[in-house]
Amino acid sequence: MIDLSVEIAGVTLPNPVLPASGTYEVAEVHEGFFSPADLGAVINKTIFLNPRPGNPPPRIWETPCGMLNAIGIPSEGLQKFLEEQLPRLRSLGPPVIVSIAGNSLQEWRDLAKAIDESGSADMIELDLSCPNLEHGFIWAAERQPLSEAVAAVVEATSLPVISKLSPNVRDISEMAVVAEAAGAAAVSMVNAYVGMAIDVETRRPALGNITGGLTGPAIRPLAVYSVFAAFQKIRVPIIGIGGIATWRDAVEFLLAGASAVAVGTQNFVNPMTMKEVIQGIAGYVEEGGFSSVRELIGLAHATHGG
Amino acid sequence: MAVHPVYRSATVLEVKRVGQEYVDLLLREPEISRTAGPGQFLMIRAWTGVDPMLPRPFDIMQCSPREQTLRLFVKVEGRGTALLKSLEPGSVVNVTGPLGQPVKNFAFSSVAFLVRGAGAAAVVHLAEACSSRGIKVYSILSASTASRIVCRDYLEPPSAELLIATDDGSEGYRGLATELLDQLLGRDSIDRVYTCGSRRFARHVQRLDREGRSAGFVFLEGLMACGLGDCHGCAVRKKEGSGYFLVCRDGPHFPVGEVEL
Repeated sequence: MIDLSVEIAGVTLPNPVLPASGTYEVAEVHEGFFSPADLGAVINKTIFLNPRPGNPPPRIWETPCGMLNAIGIPSEGLQKFLEEQLPRLRSLGPPVIVSIAGNSLQEWRDLAKAIDESGSADMIELDLSCPNLEHGFIWAAERQPLSEAVAAVVEATSLPVISKLSPNVRDISEMAVVAEAAGAAAVSMVNAYVGMAIDVETRRPALGNITGGLTGPAIRPLAVYSVFAAFQKIRVPIIGIGGIATWRDAVEFLLAGASAVAVGTQNFVNPMTMKEVIQGIAGYVEEGGFSSVRELIGLAHATHGG
Repeated sequence: MAVHPVYRSATVLEVKRVGQEYVDLLLREPEISRTAGPGQFLMIRAWTGVDPMLPRPFDIMQCSPREQTLRLFVKVEGRGTALLKSLEPGSVVNVTGPLGQPVKNFAFSSVAFLVRGAGAAAVVHLAEACSSRGIKVYSILSASTASRIVCRDYLEPPSAELLIATDDGSEGYRGLATELLDQLLGRDSIDRVYTCGSRRFARHVQRLDREGRSAGFVFLEGLMACGLGDCHGCAVRKKEGSGYFLVCRDGPHFPVGEVEL
């Protein structure tokens, strides 16, 4: 039996592969692909306190080796999430990460408290970095709001807090340091890069929201570098995200310093991806003669520069 | 028991290029051809690299469980569809399906399909399902010109009556296909109208529906990444309230009065 388990903030994940929030909903439509029980963790599409409809279409646009999206996080709100989705996530088996987003420090606290009190979550991820919200505010784009939001949640819950970081900053590794100092037990990186496309036929921005978040293999080298740089500055674990399409890409993130990886856009391309990535990592660990996948974490640093 | 979509490799059996603009694809895939219902679609990816990246959605025009085949009719518009056009028999493609809601309610006795161009492909399977249940099928095919009247050979067998309208009069009625529909409705009682491929047609059907002349339904398209309800790309505004339907999950066909056109 190959040991694929990893630890994030005291929570043991049976393997290091999970979905990126908002790219894989645990729903009946997935039952013909693979069992969500096989995942390293499960996570919801980010919830807000109150229901939200999301952005006007067009919401997505394919780009070279990637896509832009401006979905705007449609959400049924906290109450319905607690009643319907969360019990379903809890029943699956893998650790449950609940992704939340607040519009104010008070909302961050209220959401975190409610999730904590539900008793059904193992970790809370703070979506501090969605680039597509109507007010255009990215908490993780500046040191102070990032620090305040993380600190507010850490104070409101005893659950480990994962801070999801934005790459739309001068130096994301410095923002990882800020999140860690504010009490984050882990960071996930990176969220989408802000970008846009213009439809030359209509001569208008391609997305209804004008700008969107760029994801997919196009951003992978940027994301790998971000993880590599953050690994040298922080002690808390990193969940690596950004254009993972195959197990090789996932291993790249582990070697850069990620303790786990999240698959996002590729779930849209091939709904079997996460299962294939888990199997591929297992094969790599075995063929490389490693005793555990944990030996891979940050290995590129050990050999870097001899 | 609910049918769950699956992700499979399918073999290309036939690639018929229809003029410059269209391609008629026959695929072999035993499972989806057995489970697909009328009105459903699939996602297809005929490339393994990441550029283009996303699979493309197409209505399942026909499926034969006995032959284990699925037929798609594709209008070549962009890079993805150009690659579909360049496929050769024997190629292997990835497909996810069946997706969307199948039509399950056949408690009506007559139906008209009002379609524009390749929008005809969306309704063939449904027309066949109606015809096999003894429902009287009227089909109205419309296009700018005769070379864009497509899928006629597929819609003719299930149709009791098939009419053609072209904008330039190069085939059939010269003028608006909606006028043909109005004439039919003046003559026969038609319980339902399904439309696809034209916003103008959809608005017309919406009007007929509102006036109680026939229950209207519309097949919609949307830019979608997954087809599964995960990406939330293919949003279409609800007529009532502030929210959105997803074309992939809630459609692709909708009661025409429930969506903002």
